[in-house]
Amino acid sequence: METFHNIGTSTDWIVMVVYFLTIMLFGTYFGRYTKDTSDFFFGGRRFSWWLITMSIVATGVGSHSFVKYSAKGFEHGFSSSMTYLNDWFFVPFFMFGWLPIIVYSKVRSIPEYFEKRFNPSARFLATVLLLLYMIGYIGIGFLTLGKAVIPMLPEAFHIFGITLDVTLMRAIVVIAIITGAYITFGGQTAVIFTDLLQGFILIFAGFMLFAIGIAYVGGGQAFWDLLPTTWKFPLANFNEPSSFNFVGIFWQDAVAGSVGFLFMNQGLLMRFMACKNVNEGRKAAAVNILFVLPLSAIVVGNAGWLGKAISALSPDIISPNTSPDEIFVVVASIVTSPGVFGFVMAALTAALMSTVDTLINATAAIFVNDVYRPLMKYFRKSHDDKKVREKAELFAARLTSIAITAAGVLSVLAFVQFPTVYEAHGYFHSTLTPPLVVAIFMGVFWKRFSPAGVITTFLGGVALMILGARYPEIFIAPFDHGIEMNPNHPYSYIRALYNLVVCIGVGFFVTYTSNLQNRFITWVRNTNNGQLIMILITIFATLAFFLLVFGITTFELFYPVIVILFVPLIVTYFGHYDEELGTNGLTVWSIAAAKAAFKGSTPNELVGEKVEVHFKLLDNDIDKVLFSKNDLSQMGAKVGDLVYLSDKRKWLGGLKSIHSEYGEPHDEEGIVYINGDHLDHGLFDEGRSLIAEKEM
Amino acid sequence: MEYFSHSWLPYIYLYGIGGIFFFSGVYIVWRSGAIDLKKPHHRMWMKIFFFGYAWFMAVHGLLTIFALR
Repeated sequence: METFHNIGTSTDWIVMVVYFLTIMLFGTYFGRYTKDTSDFFFGGRRFSWWLITMSIVATGVGSHSFVKYSAKGFEHGFSSSMTYLNDWFFVPFFMFGWLPIIVYSKVRSIPEYFEKRFNPSARFLATVLLLLYMIGYIGIGFLTLGKAVIPMLPEAFHIFGITLDVTLMRAIVVIAIITGAYITFGGQTAVIFTDLLQGFILIFAGFMLFAIGIAYVGGGQAFWDLLPTTWKFPLANFNEPSSFNFVGIFWQDAVAGSVGFLFMNQGLLMRFMACKNVNEGRKAAAVNILFVLPLSAIVVGNAGWLGKAISALSPDIISPNTSPDEIFVVVASIVTSPGVFGFVMAALTAALMSTVDTLINATAAIFVNDVYRPLMKYFRKSHDDKKVREKAELFAARLTSIAITAAGVLSVLAFVQFPTVYEAHGYFHSTLTPPLVVAIFMGVFWKRFSPAGVITTFLGGVALMILGARYPEIFIAPFDHGIEMNPNHPYSYIRALYNLVVCIGVGFFVTYTSNLQNRFITWVRNTNNGQLIMILITIFATLAFFLLVFGITTFELFYPVIVILFVPLIVTYFGHYDEELGTNGLTVWSIAAAKAAFKGSTPNELVGEKVEVHFKLLDNDIDKVLFSKNDLSQMGAKVGDLVYLSDKRKWLGGLKSIHSEYGEPHDEEGIVYINGDHLDHGLFDEGRSLIAEKEM
Repeated sequence: MEYFSHSWLPYIYLYGIGGIFFFSGVYIVWRSGAIDLKKPHHRMWMKIFFFGYAWFMAVHGLLTIFALR
């Protein structure tokens, strides 16, 4: 396979350095809006849908990467776009199920939901799985970045007589240091605004490359005619080849991937949670999936399609043997002029960095929320003073960002063995998402799903998945839809179907046999040596799980059975679960209760108008804003309702805004009284008009 | 049919199995009351759901027809 080095000129490097400095300064500027952990992780829950939609472009495009889709576009054509056009199936579940639940239940992370819905053990297991998922995702991002940059670098650097070979891992370490810089000091607001700028630039750079490339091959008709028929289909061949087939990718991406992306990608969820309300989050998701993702599919895949056309036109310019993961850089360098190539490469690498930054920020959020805070609480080191506690948590978040960056670099080692980034990502998604995806899904949509069900889904599901990974020809083959098994990377994509089926199967089995488990536990509680029996059962289940994990193959087939039978008994015996408390406001069947809990009283659904006001300062620290009686009635609001107050300039997208509560009204029409904290958080400008609207 | 496994077979599978997930989702959010069709903006969301499904079906269908021509 042909690989490249030293692509690009010094002009390109100058353009790239200038671009990066500009982006970093832009991010650092918005870092000043970070006042506390809520701002650091969620941007203060204040932004408009359009701002979040555009900021998601850089995250989505980056994570789905120019590199891997150009590679598949080069190898297989327009079907490289199919993963961008298959996310709609789970949108109803997301918009009216998961999104309102996570916003209204005020959880800061997905594992926290598991504690509220189930118990602390479920939260612990969800934290472990989610941290593995997020760190793996960061690793994939670093691998992609490394592969994008390597063709531009020389084979070696010579510094003070020492020759330093340019290797993938060395390039990744340098990239990681740069990437970690502004996320560590900026936070979510910095990331959102950096991504916003990059979203526009990415779309522009991608379409510019496509237009220049089409002109290069002789126009649109020539481009179309140069592509073989099979390259023109929007969907891949049903079940071959094993490295890229429709049915495998459907289960890996359209099902596990889409649910994973919408339901358990903490980075993306935090963007939606940064919207000023749930409906704005829905709008951001809808516009993104309906229109921005199809455009992004062209942006990220077109270099591969152009590469194929150029290769058909003149194999001397682009050899059919070109390394697929390098095709984006090769095509961009051929069709663009010096300087423009630097700009395109800067846009690509900056987008990837955005993705990685978002993920690092999100992983830090999980760590602080689900590891740091519970530990501080346990060791009673949590400060009573909110401001001191916030400062300590912000410092912990920044340190965690650095540690997670390092862990992400290490995780690259697990993925370098795959021939392309696409396959590495596919394998990763198929393997790590199913247990969490199934647990979240069943938890949100099925009231009967209990802690015994969720914990056994995690442990029993993982046990059966390990068995499938070890013996794919026995366990995964029945699900393969005729896909040939590649012995080096068996069933990279379709394993997602097996993994989903076993996790769902375990969840159903445990839930539908809960009566039997309860009867057994009642019997155990009534016997004299009940506790001893349960301790022995716990030892057996733990042993079985770890023997399976560490590959002790004697009685291997029985280990998952032991785990699936014993874990529900252990959870039922030792755990406590109040079904009413665990489901009220935490499943799709009680969204109204979730909304009422969010507000603290019955939501006011009366439709009102927005009003324009000027602010005056009050010298108190009560979180209430005071409007005139007339303004209050125009908004259809009552004292105690929730209000959103923002700068009148719409193009700020809610950057200067606050959420608060209506206090007792006064008689000064067009005036709102706010306090110093509101002014500090909202960053309102003296003399500027504000727009007020009732939230609920 | 030539190219069937590369054109209409994946298309039928995508919108058949994908449709099961999609329509189950619509049914569950409606049945649970999470989407309240008495509210005008919820009715609008319901229309957007169906528009989205038809939109992607049309995009994939048209691209397949063009490729086969």
